[in-house]
Amino acid sequence: MFVSSAWMHHLQHSGKVMSGTSCKANGAVYPASTTVMTTVKKPKMEQIQADHELFLQAFEKPTQIYRFLRTRNLIAVSKYYIHNIHIYIMYRSFRKKTFKVDDMLLRVEKMKGEQESHSLSSHLQLTFTGFFHKDEKPSQNSENEQGSVSLEVLLVKVCHKKRKDVSCPVKQVPTGKKQVPLNPDCSKQTKPGSLPSLLVSSNEFEPSNSHMVKSYSLLFRVLRTGRRGMNGLVNGEANENIDVTEVPSRKKRSSTHREDGETTETFVAQMTVFDKNRRLQLLDGEYEVSMQGMEDCPVSKKRATWETILDGKRLPPFETFSQGPTLQFTLRWTGDASDKSTAPVAKPLATRNSDGSSPMESRPSTLKSAPLAVKASVSTDIQMKKEQILCEPRQKLRIFYQFLYNNNTRQQTEARDDLHCPWCTLNCRKLYSLLKHLKQSHSRFIFNYVPHPKGARIDVSINECYDGSYVGNPQDIHSQPGFAFSRNGPVKRTAVTHVLVCRPKRTKPSLSEFLESEDGELEQQRTYVSGHNRLYFHSDSCMPLRPQEMDVDSEDERDPEWLREKTATQLEEFTDVNEGEKEVMKLWNLHVMKHGFIADNQMNQASMQFVEKCGAYIARRNLCRNFLLHLVSMHDFNLVSVATIDRAMSRLRHIQEELPDAGADDQADRALMEGACNGTAIACSSGGGGGTKHGKRTKSSVTD
Amino acid sequence: MGAPCHDKNTSELCWRRRVKSEYMRLRQLKRFRRADEVKSMFNSNRQRILERTDILNAEWKTRRIQPVHIMTSVMCVCVWSCLLQCTVDSGFSEFSKQVIPLKTLNAVASVPVMYSWSPLQQNFMVEDETVLHNIPYMGDEILDQDGTFIEELIKNYDGKVHGDRECGFINDEIFVELVGALTQYSDNDDEDDDEEEQEFKLEKMELCENIFLSCLRSNCVCVCEIRYKELTEPQLPGALPPECTPNMDGPNARSVQREQSLHSFHTLFCRRCFKYDCFLHPFHATPNTYKRKNMENLVDSKPCGDECYMYLDGLVREYPDGMATERSKTPSKRPVSRRRGRPIGNSTYTRAPAKHHTQSYAHTNHCLLCNPEGNSRCQTPVKLKLTCDPQVVDWSGAEASLFRVLIGTYYDNYCAIARLIGTKTCRQVYEFRVKESSIIARAPAEDEDTPPRKKKRKHRLWATHCRKIQLKKDGSSNHVYNYQPCDHPRQPCDSSCPCVTAQNFCEKFCQCSSECQNRFPGCRCKAQCNTKQCPCYLAVRECDPDLCLTCGAAEHWDSKNVSCKNCSIQRGAKKHLLLAPSDVAGWGIFIKEPVQKNEFISEYCGEIISQDEADRRGKVYDKYMCSFLFNLNNDFVVDATRKGNKIRFANHSVHPNCYAKVMMVNGDHRIGIFAKRTIQTGEELFFDYRYSQADALKYVGIERESEMP
Repeated sequence: MFVSSAWMHHLQHSGKVMSGTSCKANGAVYPASTTVMTTVKKPKMEQIQADHELFLQAFEKPTQIYRFLRTRNLIAVSKYYIHNIHIYIMYRSFRKKTFKVDDMLLRVEKMKGEQESHSLSSHLQLTFTGFFHKDEKPSQNSENEQGSVSLEVLLVKVCHKKRKDVSCPVKQVPTGKKQVPLNPDCSKQTKPGSLPSLLVSSNEFEPSNSHMVKSYSLLFRVLRTGRRGMNGLVNGEANENIDVTEVPSRKKRSSTHREDGETTETFVAQMTVFDKNRRLQLLDGEYEVSMQGMEDCPVSKKRATWETILDGKRLPPFETFSQGPTLQFTLRWTGDASDKSTAPVAKPLATRNSDGSSPMESRPSTLKSAPLAVKASVSTDIQMKKEQILCEPRQKLRIFYQFLYNNNTRQQTEARDDLHCPWCTLNCRKLYSLLKHLKQSHSRFIFNYVPHPKGARIDVSINECYDGSYVGNPQDIHSQPGFAFSRNGPVKRTAVTHVLVCRPKRTKPSLSEFLESEDGELEQQRTYVSGHNRLYFHSDSCMPLRPQEMDVDSEDERDPEWLREKTATQLEEFTDVNEGEKEVMKLWNLHVMKHGFIADNQMNQASMQFVEKCGAYIARRNLCRNFLLHLVSMHDFNLVSVATIDRAMSRLRHIQEELPDAGADDQADRALMEGACNGTAIACSSGGGGGTKHGKRTKSSVTD
Repeated sequence: MGAPCHDKNTSELCWRRRVKSEYMRLRQLKRFRRADEVKSMFNSNRQRILERTDILNAEWKTRRIQPVHIMTSVMCVCVWSCLLQCTVDSGFSEFSKQVIPLKTLNAVASVPVMYSWSPLQQNFMVEDETVLHNIPYMGDEILDQDGTFIEELIKNYDGKVHGDRECGFINDEIFVELVGALTQYSDNDDEDDDEEEQEFKLEKMELCENIFLSCLRSNCVCVCEIRYKELTEPQLPGALPPECTPNMDGPNARSVQREQSLHSFHTLFCRRCFKYDCFLHPFHATPNTYKRKNMENLVDSKPCGDECYMYLDGLVREYPDGMATERSKTPSKRPVSRRRGRPIGNSTYTRAPAKHHTQSYAHTNHCLLCNPEGNSRCQTPVKLKLTCDPQVVDWSGAEASLFRVLIGTYYDNYCAIARLIGTKTCRQVYEFRVKESSIIARAPAEDEDTPPRKKKRKHRLWATHCRKIQLKKDGSSNHVYNYQPCDHPRQPCDSSCPCVTAQNFCEKFCQCSSECQNRFPGCRCKAQCNTKQCPCYLAVRECDPDLCLTCGAAEHWDSKNVSCKNCSIQRGAKKHLLLAPSDVAGWGIFIKEPVQKNEFISEYCGEIISQDEADRRGKVYDKYMCSFLFNLNNDFVVDATRKGNKIRFANHSVHPNCYAKVMMVNGDHRIGIFAKRTIQTGEELFFDYRYSQADALKYVGIERESEMP
């Protein structure tokens, strides 16, 4: 009974936003251990269901979102990812002393170039170790005719569909036939030269004329002929210590072959060399390909998916390797047909180094070295010490993702063998980088690193504090919505400072920073990016704030226009205050509002400022005596000194004398004031309390 | 009115009809007029909007940025868009098809809802609304669910809703018009001779009043008559309201008393805001407020010119001595009444009584002047006599008024007065002074409004004083009352003083002596005033720039770098805030630059309303689920719904990064928002809405207790 096989699988099936291709998990996903805290030996189906529901509830939505984002980004531009990769991968080079931006570019280009040239200008050399099929006893005598099978290798070119084609045109180019030993003894050291090998010229991988080739793959076809003896089956049963459950299924299948002893059995397998994005899928290394039994036309349905089906049951991928049929071979890219060892040794994890969007076509194949590496890490991990946690474990890791949900009371574990991000399939290549990436790019989750004997455990839980604030480049968001059209010619652009190189104080990268911290946990869960990562708006008009307007606090003036108008109209409403008084009062109020005086001892200065500012106006409007009254009144309130009155008035006289054409202006203003005075003869609508009825006020009603 | 009964009846009926029809006509007329007014007002507003848009557009054009588009009404029969074209097809053959390329605009993300509000940087006091201004609309479903809500709301306002038709009522305007219209009838119908006209009119008026009485059951006849007279009389052209003095700079300036000239300035000036008719303090000056307290009197010792009064009769020699002796002399018994001529406590200023009053005490003054020299506080009467012939000069009304104003300030400094009047020489002023001597008051003695604290107290240690005051302050309750300057002459600030009962300190605005025991002494810090060491900080007050002279609160008016950190609200040293959709709900406010813990961020400004008003408004806000109310003290609430500043957008959180603190700032309670922790650039601001003023003081109190050994 398995509770949940691949969790990703579940999530992706319940989501609707994801496109089919993108959500294929590329790494080998182990549906292995599912531990539920409340472990029951045989949990009832409902319980499992409920638990599963909880799990989905917690993790479904954010996963969908991240998957969607990934797909969108893949479709749009992969620049962002490249950028990200650079940050993670080039991290160390940033710390070099003689760092130059050019250097970085150069290095990247060199790297790319290396990769491409290495993959294209060489031969593909395949050296076959043997064909393993556990139905048979290992052949005792190698000279036996039965000890070998004939292998045919075809290069399959899947071309782009043309308009008239129903399906993609496929070209098969035979590359050669070889006799490959059947079930050779592994313990026996065979000379590499003696083994059969094939060469595929790299010319084959160049685009052909008629069709644009979408992808290249190798098709292995093993023909096994002349089987006479039926006894192998019985013997095999006894020899191998295989699970009992497996036996009947094999029996059944073998029985089909038994019908006529003289038939040839055909096994096929296909491996992608270059995928449709022209990315190299096969690097140097030892491969073991599981073969598929084929009765008739082996390559009739090109686009059917390969699945290991034994007796209608899906077998976990690794089961096939234990029993075969498998084909073992060594793959080398060589510059020269004769030269063998120039190609770099394939690292186990480097297979999918490109950028992780490799499809699953090559699923049945896996690297032979993979299980070994795990074993090795197990052995070393036993003596692992505390300090070793902090430095990167060197060897291949298995990473266990432990999902905590339902208030961290429940958990599910999934393991992965590579350092790809499970959400956006970014290959981070280092545990540190992976953790950093997870933490920074998937802030809807909380990730905590826990050292694990087999590699690393990452506790994943939902970040409750995730606030959804934008964590991208603020400049992107500040570009004006709705401003793209109908500009009047060139528009002034925001001055933006890009920091090209900065060397912030960085601590040495250490895995300890991802360990769960007890204190300041809240601090950590806040989003990393701070600053103005959002679009601001004017508070008065709700219009977007343009970047060039950021620095001026435009809406926080002390005397907003409406208030200035309000004070004027409010004074104007008085029916028993004469025009001259109103005028001076308004001027003074505006002056005080503008400067925001707060202290008594500012008043002398304020009065002098007032004369300087409004002196000319006062003189022109012939308000000098009213101004003097104002000063005297201020003096009565103990706010200005007699000396200030004297100084202010003499200054006013001075300004008055300096006025150009004072006489004429004076006359004009006088006339104006007269008119205004006559205009004041407003009928006081009602005496006493009803003063405010028609918006008219009297000062006596103000005095309380 | 002995009209025959029959006659009266018919005429009454007839009048009744007339009155009714006239009344209806007038009402309708008024309604039409009102509609026209509204229409024209709407149009003028429209016009203003267009003008404003034009200005904006012009401005934007210069900035080379996309202009503001005004939506033009679209009238098209059918629009269908093909690939990149838009075609307008009218369906009639005579109109040709119109084709225009299709432009697609990018989708713009919608922003949260915002109800319009007015920006403000200082609180604004508004009166209670006695009428419900609008019936709030909050969606049909709310009304369906809770039909009683609106009813209850209207009940809160005693059923008064703005814009209700005042049917059945008659206001002054209609009344006057109605009587006018009816008079016309009487003129047309009965061609009586002029003598009888008046009487007849009165009779008609009586009739119509009778009708009113029957209809409205409100006024009685005589009241109506008086009212009519009152209403029609002031409509004579050119008449000023009685309280209004003519413009002193105008041609109609009259010669009036000092207090009359200064009356507007005195009554409208707000001593706390330094503004006239300020927005914050509805209580304006009492006469004591503008009574001069400092005795400065700069008298020029040298003659101001050839025409100086000092050349009259060898005044030059004697004057300084005279001054000196005069100063040392008694604060002799003054006449009972004050210079200001207004009885204390009389709130309405009426002209006639004042004049009478002034004259009456002018007489007493005159009598005093006749007293022997020793008793007089001013220059001896001998000096006032003119030795040479007085020049005959005309004193205009304005000059005379101005002289009276200035003599109340400068007293005997005729040189200064002459300089300020400008049009008269010193000597002429002096001569006028002699003429006017009968009614001019002299320098008031220092009068004892509030007895100063006892001498022995004066040298007490500053710290103990502060502590004592502080302890007194936070002793009992958490209630904080609004401050209002006290004014109780000749009485110390004891239990009867409003400041003491409200547990407020006396401020510089109080009329008590500056030595008053209830005054807050201010701080003498030399540090930043941001610890409890500072008595101001301890008392949840900002430093008073007129009291705290050492901490820097009274310096550097123009710069932002003030050493005292406890004067941010009054100086408006707010941080730059930015508005954006919140991460939590609706709009949010974000800080532009990082701030330190406890740094001042902004003042929470708004309308200041009474607690009752807040209750009424709160009912509506609660329904909207959006409230900007903030308790200020026991008397008032700050409401930032209609007026406010950007900090009003700060959201509530139980883990806030800001806190609010109500502080006493120069006599006003104001709400400061401060940083609770270090806040990074671009962080959204939150504070805990529940943390009210009462809690703030409780908090302070608890802390104090734990501090004390």
